[in-house]
Amino acid sequence: MDWLFHVGRYFWMLGKTFSRPEKFKMFVRQLFHEIEGLGVNSVGIVVIISLFIGGILTIQLAYNLMNPLLPVYLIGLGTRDTLILEFSSTILALILAGKIGSNITSEIGSMKVTEQIDTLEVMGVNSISYLILPKIVAVVFIFPFLVILSIFFGLLGGLIVGPFTGVVSLTDYIDGIRYLFVPYYVTFTLIKSVFFGFLVASVPAYYGYFVQGGALEVGKASTKAVVNTNILILLFDLVLTRLLLTA
Amino acid sequence: MIEVRNITKIFDGKAAVKDISMQFPEGQANLIIGRSGSGKTVLLKCILGLYEPDSGEILYDGRSFTRMKSAERKTIRREMGMVFQGGALFDSLTVEQNVRFPLDMFTTKTSAEKANRVDFCLEHVDIRGANKLFPSEISGGMQKRVAIARAIALNPKYLFCDEPNSGLDPETATLIDDLILMLTKEFKMTTIINTHDMNSVIQIGESVLFIHQGEKCWQGNRGNILHSENKILEDFIFANKLYAQMRREKTGMI
Repeated sequence: MDWLFHVGRYFWMLGKTFSRPEKFKMFVRQLFHEIEGLGVNSVGIVVIISLFIGGILTIQLAYNLMNPLLPVYLIGLGTRDTLILEFSSTILALILAGKIGSNITSEIGSMKVTEQIDTLEVMGVNSISYLILPKIVAVVFIFPFLVILSIFFGLLGGLIVGPFTGVVSLTDYIDGIRYLFVPYYVTFTLIKSVFFGFLVASVPAYYGYFVQGGALEVGKASTKAVVNTNILILLFDLVLTRLLLTA
Repeated sequence: MIEVRNITKIFDGKAAVKDISMQFPEGQANLIIGRSGSGKTVLLKCILGLYEPDSGEILYDGRSFTRMKSAERKTIRREMGMVFQGGALFDSLTVEQNVRFPLDMFTTKTSAEKANRVDFCLEHVDIRGANKLFPSEISGGMQKRVAIARAIALNPKYLFCDEPNSGLDPETATLIDDLILMLTKEFKMTTIINTHDMNSVIQIGESVLFIHQGEKCWQGNRGNILHSENKILEDFIFANKLYAQMRREKTGMI
């Protein structure tokens, strides 16, 4: 029943998080700081991973579709739909749970064990809201942009690698990514990204805020946070896919 | 003045603080001393409201802190300054931003007024030329002084220090003790200091509360602590070889 305690305390934390900020000016300052630290600083890794995955997807699809009866442009189509529907939202969220999530847990956890959070509390600052709200808002805000960026660079990766390796021509690839495009898929992936962004910020924040002990425990909390965020992302992916694509 | 009345705090069925009552007058350094694990930090955290006592009452100038709701406590929290054991400076902020933080958070002062106040506080703790440095770039002693500067930024009525000179060399520790006493007198604050450093007790202990195993064991001041006949207190004081030698020389005891 230990998990029930954690669920209860997680929602209690969320209740405290979404209370009115102590001073709006300070909140905005923190928000921009977090958008830069957690979002803008993740652009590099998103671009690199997406370029490679787009290229790899193109080669693998070409290998699997080696059949004269199947049109070559399906490689582009397959790459596009895989990127939009799954990679750029879910897989990217799993990767960013590692980068952003562990960052959030270790930052808040370190503040906890060095009594910086107690300092805020003694001052009369709602430490949960002050520390966690800007992170959640920043990540939820930046995630859809990162997803769009990932789709773009994933397609670009395929565009570069496909013709370069000779598995698909430039024309066939472009035809493929334009063929039977369903705009709703983009809406679907953006909706997912908002949920995933919320999980990537709030679950690690929970583990960081309630850490007890020293540096070792902060490390353990980071690992726990990333593992549990990943599980929750996959669970939400399943539920959202069922609700938004097939219900 | 801060008054604690019959404070008890229990963790996992074991009382960390048992039925402690004490008055901490303003304008003087009030020390809580005791061995590690004796309950002095728990008592301090109860006074600060970081722990809710299981029974008893805490009064700030007659205002019952324990009976107040969270929103009401904020008024008193604005009057508190706290120096934690490790300084607890915000890592991501510079020295100047750390001291400025409570001003940004709770005042409507202009930027120039805040800058003046920051300079005033840093000068009072004798920090110069370190405004733009981060906590990791300054020494432990400087971190403590910056923490004191931040604690006095809002001109508090109550100052709390948890082992303010732990981890410091004797000279710096003495400077920190003198600084706290000087600020206490200058701003007429009610100051409570947690320590197990006998040098601090002798130097600034105008009022001393000795806690042993969560209970109030002795109460007095630096003038009479060395002459106490309380056996537990004696063991605590004279565990330090220097003080033991001083006693031997004074009393001829072996």
